[in-house]
Amino acid sequence: MAVNALEVRSLTKVIGKKKIVDDVSFSVNRGEIFGLLGPNGAGKTTIIRMIVSLIKRTDGAVSVNGHNLDGQFKEMMSEIGAIVENPEFYKYMSGYKNLKHYANMAIKEVSDERIMEVARLVKLDDAIHQKVKTYSLGMRQRLGVAQALLHNPSLLILDEPTNGLDPQGIREFRDYLHALAHEGISVLVSSHLLAEMQLMCDRFAIIEKGKLIHISSMKEAMEEDEKTEVIFEVSSSQKAVDVLKGQAAVSSIKVLADDQFSVHVEKATISTINKLLISNDIDVYGISRVTVSLEDRFLEITNKEVRENGGVVQ
Amino acid sequence: MIALIRNELMKLFQKKSSWIYLIIIVIAVIVGGIISNKVSDEPDPNWRAGMKAEITELQQNAKNAPDEEKQFFTSEIEQKQKYLDENVNPNAVSNWHFLNNVVYPMTTLVTLLAVIVCSASVSAEFADGTIKQLLIRPHQRWAVLLSKYISLMIYSLILVATLIVAGYLVGLITFGNGDFSAKIFELAIDGQKEAAVGPQFFLKMAYYLPSLLVITAIAFMLSTLFKSQALAVGIGIFVLFVSSTLGGLIVMLAEKYEWAKYLIFPHLDLTIYALQDKILGDITLPISLAILAVYYAIFMILTFVFFQKRDISI
Ligand SMILES: Nc1ncnc2c1ncn2[C@@H]1O[C@H](COP(=O)(O)OP(=O)(O)OP(=O)(O)O)[C@@H](O)[C@H]1O
Ligand SMILES: [Mg+2]
Repeated sequence: MAVNALEVRSLTKVIGKKKIVDDVSFSVNRGEIFGLLGPNGAGKTTIIRMIVSLIKRTDGAVSVNGHNLDGQFKEMMSEIGAIVENPEFYKYMSGYKNLKHYANMAIKEVSDERIMEVARLVKLDDAIHQKVKTYSLGMRQRLGVAQALLHNPSLLILDEPTNGLDPQGIREFRDYLHALAHEGISVLVSSHLLAEMQLMCDRFAIIEKGKLIHISSMKEAMEEDEKTEVIFEVSSSQKAVDVLKGQAAVSSIKVLADDQFSVHVEKATISTINKLLISNDIDVYGISRVTVSLEDRFLEITNKEVRENGGVVQ
Repeated sequence: MIALIRNELMKLFQKKSSWIYLIIIVIAVIVGGIISNKVSDEPDPNWRAGMKAEITELQQNAKNAPDEEKQFFTSEIEQKQKYLDENVNPNAVSNWHFLNNVVYPMTTLVTLLAVIVCSASVSAEFADGTIKQLLIRPHQRWAVLLSKYISLMIYSLILVATLIVAGYLVGLITFGNGDFSAKIFELAIDGQKEAAVGPQFFLKMAYYLPSLLVITAIAFMLSTLFKSQALAVGIGIFVLFVSSTLGGLIVMLAEKYEWAKYLIFPHLDLTIYALQDKILGDITLPISLAILAVYYAIFMILTFVFFQKRDISI
């Protein structure tokens, strides 16, 4: 079996008496985009800081492509490109000089052409020779992405990378991440934007109060339920409800409007309902499945956690 | 390592302030040249006659003076007689006299500017948040810190060199090239010390360098301790100010307590050894150098150990 792109084992951080990160373990496969989700103050950034050794680990081990953080720091760090919270730059230098600065620090040589290539990639080539203090928030974020990609790392660690990007930028960024993952580069990404993460990630973990409370593939999470919510647009929802009431397969009918109702059913039942409505002279104008969003799942999982812990804050 | 140092020098010289400090030194030297040109009289070829007349006048005054003032007159007369005996014109001017009398005291300005730059160095990376991007590279922390320190030492030497070169050129233009080994008398605790002007200047500059090294080490240490650039620079200047005013106090203290001789302050100004062989009774130059070396090692170890261990949670 090939080694994991990133392996995190029992990562723990204690500051004072508080466990900010508590025994977190996960791994990222090669070519996978792995999301780290969690509410504010959950400990996502702290986990990322420990992985890139900006802060000491109280306990636990980290390895990248088999390179261990304890013994092979240089080898490990040259495999990583990272953004930790908002990337900051030397404002008195141009974007190009900033990139050059980081290029000089790479173990494998980074050519000037590569710098321009990355600048073009993040669409900063027009402004690359301007001083960074003239950059907008989004431009700085793009420069942050550029400095992470510069040395062709095999693992990208991105803390809130879409922060400040415009919708177009987010979309381009997502497409680019997918392209990178396709080439075998692995990505660990944290974000609050659940809709964004849903589109971006292959797998994800949910962190809450420093603990890892859920880990699964995006597919699994989205397909957990057999039944889905379906909205029907009809000539009269009242008539439709009367017709459907007797049906065993149909449960939890909700009238949304005079001409709209929703049901919670299995896939096959949708067509059964449709036939029933038509045979009862009710016009059907539209049927739409409400897809479960990651947000719904996220709230479900985190709420369950609160319920199980009796809502007590440790 | 070379690449890291080159990076640090690039950052240093991309800052406008680094150039402004160099310009300040040049301006100070030029102003010094103009002022000393204004106040110094044209060298009088008949100065010996003038000096003799002065001595006679002093002798006259001494006869009529009360006893307690006699002492003063005798020493005045002695001094002037010495100038005559050794054939040293006290009002002689040349570029070397300018360097020794006007430019050398300006090393205080160099120290101040070096302290400002050194104490801003690491603290600015913290204040701007750039430190986190700097430390997620495949380089050990101590190597990054060392590259910063070396580049700062290079910059400090550039400051010193600027002072000497500007001083030499301004002296040459305003006073013309004089005798490098012209005799001068300098006021020391135990009377007048005879010296050759050029060598005396370079001797003082050589004695100045160890103190610069130790003071900048203190400033550099402060810059790793504080996250605020302003605070680090403020405290750096404060320490500089205190150390220059504490000298007299320590002399008094050292008369009573042996340990006071091993405080850092009396040894920070080694140029006193250009005038006398011993300070604080029995301390010689090698002892002062050894004491400074111990302090320097302590400061450096503290700086590097602290920086290596520090959690970077910007
Ligand atoms: N240096 C520190 N000292 C004390 N507590 C800290 C320190 N750094 C972080 N914390 C605490 O650790 C917790 C986790 O912080 P962290 O920044 O990792 O959260 P996060 O998941 O990244 O949150 P966000 O989504 O807001 O970015 C927070 O409660 C924070 O208050
Ligand atoms: Mg965070």
